Amino acid sequence: MNLALVWHYAPSLISGFGVTVLCWAVGSIVGLALGIVIALASEIRLAPLRWLLRVYIEIFRGTPFLMQLFILYNGGPFIGLKLAATTAGVLGLGLYSSAYYAEIFRGGFASVPRGQIEAAMSIGMTPLSTLLRVRFPAALVAAVPPIVNTLIVMSKETVVLSIITVPELMYQVQTMAAETFTAFDAIFAMAVFYWLLVEVVSRLGRRLEKRVTLFLARPA
Amino acid sequence: MHPQVILHSLGYLTQAAGVTLALSLAGIVLGFLVGAAACIARLSGRRWAAALGAAYVSIFRGVPLLVQLLFIYYFLAELGFNVPALVAAVGGLALASGAYQAEILRGALNAVPRGQSEAASALGFAPVDVWRRILLPQALRISIPPLINEFILLLKASSLVSVVGIAELTRVSMNIATMTYRPLEAYVGGGLFYLAINLCLSGIGLLAERRFGKAGAI
Amino acid sequence: MSTAMIEARGVGKRFGANEVLRGVDLDVGRSEVVCLIGPSGSGKSTLLRCINFLEAYDDGEVRIEGELIGYEKASDGKRRPMGARRLREMRREIGMVFQHFNLWPHMTALGNVAEPLKRVRKLAAGEAEERAMDMLKRVGLAEKAEAYPSRLSGGQQQRVAIARALAMQPRLMLFDEPTSALDPELVGEVLEVMRALATEGMTMLIVTHEMGFAAHVADRIAFIDQGRILEQGPPRQVFHESSEPRVRQFLQTYHDRNAF
Repeated sequence: MNLALVWHYAPSLISGFGVTVLCWAVGSIVGLALGIVIALASEIRLAPLRWLLRVYIEIFRGTPFLMQLFILYNGGPFIGLKLAATTAGVLGLGLYSSAYYAEIFRGGFASVPRGQIEAAMSIGMTPLSTLLRVRFPAALVAAVPPIVNTLIVMSKETVVLSIITVPELMYQVQTMAAETFTAFDAIFAMAVFYWLLVEVVSRLGRRLEKRVTLFLARPA
Repeated sequence: MHPQVILHSLGYLTQAAGVTLALSLAGIVLGFLVGAAACIARLSGRRWAAALGAAYVSIFRGVPLLVQLLFIYYFLAELGFNVPALVAAVGGLALASGAYQAEILRGALNAVPRGQSEAASALGFAPVDVWRRILLPQALRISIPPLINEFILLLKASSLVSVVGIAELTRVSMNIATMTYRPLEAYVGGGLFYLAINLCLSGIGLLAERRFGKAGAI
Repeated sequence: MSTAMIEARGVGKRFGANEVLRGVDLDVGRSEVVCLIGPSGSGKSTLLRCINFLEAYDDGEVRIEGELIGYEKASDGKRRPMGARRLREMRREIGMVFQHFNLWPHMTALGNVAEPLKRVRKLAAGEAEERAMDMLKRVGLAEKAEAYPSRLSGGQQQRVAIARALAMQPRLMLFDEPTSALDPELVGEVLEVMRALATEGMTMLIVTHEMGFAAHVADRIAFIDQGRILEQGPPRQVFHESSEPRVRQFLQTYHDRNAF
C-alpha cells in the first residue's frame, strides 16, 4: 500500500466521495418522487396515458443505464438539451430509478386490501386523506424492502457516471490511476468503500423494514 | 434526428447485439455454476464453507460491477497476470451474477415447505433422494422466473464490459457515434436493440411465471 | 410374541427451556386404535413425531415392536443417535399422515403414491404405479390419479396422503391432526377412510380434535396436558366417567364450542 500516494490524492478522492453520495441522494429523491407520481398517474382510467406510462417504464427498465446516460449527455445537445455532466448524471439516475420505483409503488398500492379503502370511504374520509392516511402507509409495508434494495442497486450505478466524466469517486480513482500508473490501492479501497456502503445500507434497510412492519409483528 | 444513421449501421448493431447476447449467456450459465456452488457451500452446514459462501455473496453483490471489471482487467495485469479482455469480461459477469444467483437458489430452496422433505423422511427416503426428487425439482421451478429476471439485469450490466474494449452493443454504439458524429441516433439505435431483447426476455419470464410461479403452492 | 407395537417409556423432550414432554408412558398394541387428545400446545403432536423420530426425544425410550428407535447403545454404555440407514429402515414400516398433507406439488396424485415405492421399496416403475393405483382406488380417488395436488380439494389431498403412506404397507400408522386443516364438510370423507382402516385391523395412533370420531373408533383415548398423559382408558371412561378435573374442563369447553 502506497499511503503517501493515496494521501496526495486524498482531497480529490474525498471530493469524489462527496459527489458520489450527492448524485446518489439527489438522483434517488428525483426517482422516488417521479415513481410515486407515475404510480398514481397510472391509476387514472385513461388508456393513452396508461399506455404512455407503460412505455416509459419499459424503456427505462429495458435498456442499460449507461446507454441512457449516453443518449442524455452525448445525444441531448443535438435536440437542444445541453447538460453539464453532473446534471445529466443526476437526471439520468433519477429517470432510470423512477421506472423501478414506479413499479414498486404500483405493487405497494395494489397490495392494500380493498376493504381498507372501503372502510376509509365508509367513515367519510376524503380521497386525499384516504391516500395519505390509509393507502400510502399500508403500501409502504410492501414497498420498503424493494425500495431499500433499489437504493442499494442505484448506489452502485453511480459508478457508471464516471464514464460520462462526472467527477465522482470512480472518476477520481481512474484519474489517479492514469497519472500514477498505480491505482491498485485506491481501487481496492474503493471496492471496500462500496462494500461497506452496501452492507450499512442493507442493515439500516432491515431495521427500517422492521419499523414499518412493526404492527404486523405478533406478540412473542 | 437522422434515422438513416441507424439503418446504415443495422448490420454492425445486429452483430454487436449477438455479442452482447453471447456474453450475457456465458455469464449467466457460468454464474449459475458459481452460484450453485456458493449456495451449496452456504447450506452445507460446514462453518468455514458457509462463511466463505456468505463472504463471496456479500463482496460480489456489494462491489459495483465496473469496479470488479477494472480490478480483474487492469490490476491482475499489474500483478503480472495478463487476462485477455474477453476472459475478464465473461469472468466478471459470471462472478457478479453468481452472487445474485446463489441468493435466488437459496431463496427457492427455502421456499419449499419443510413438510415436503419431512414427508419424504417419514417414508424412509435417503437424503440424496429427498434432494433429487423433492427439493431440487421444486426449487428449480421456483427459481426460473427470478433467474430470467437476473438474465435481463445481467444483459443490461454487460454494457459495462465496453470499458475493457469488447465490441458488444454499447461499444459498437460508441464507435458509430464517434464515426458518424451522430451520438443520439447511434445510442438510440443501440438502446432499441437492448429494449427488443429485454422485452422478449420479460415475455418469456411472464410465461414462465404463469407456468412455474405457482408450482410451489399447495 | 406379545410385544406392543409402540412402547414409549418416560419420553421427555425440550425445546430450549420449554419442556414439551415430561416422561410420557404409552403403549399401543397390535391392531389397536389409540387417539391422543388434549389442548393445543399440550405436546400431543410432538409425542407423535417422536415415535418415528422426526423429532428427537431427549429422555426415555420409544420402541417399535420391541426395537429402540432413534438411538443405539454405544460401547461406553451411553446411547448415540442411530445410523441414518437403520433409521430409514424403521421409518418405512411406520406410515405418517400430516395435518397439512405434505403432498409433493410437482407430482400427480399417482406420482405421489408411486414415488416412495420406487425410491424406498425399489419397485420397478410399472409395478409401483400398479400398486399406487390400487391404493388410490382404496381411498376412492382412482379417477383423480393424473391430477396434481393443486387441483384436489383438501379432503382429496389428505386421502392421497393416506394412500401414499398405506402403499408402503406399514405396520402402523401415525395421524397428526389429519382433519384440522380441512373445511368442515370435507372432514367426513377422510374420517371414513380412517374408520375403514381401523376396521381392517391397522394399528393407529391418532392426534385429533374430532371427539365424535375418537369416541366411536378408538379402542383407547389418552388425554395429554402439559407434556404428561393425565388419563387414559376406553372412550366411555375418559369421555364420561373421568374424575380428572382438567379432562372434564377440556371436554366441557369442547362441548360448549360445538353446541348450538
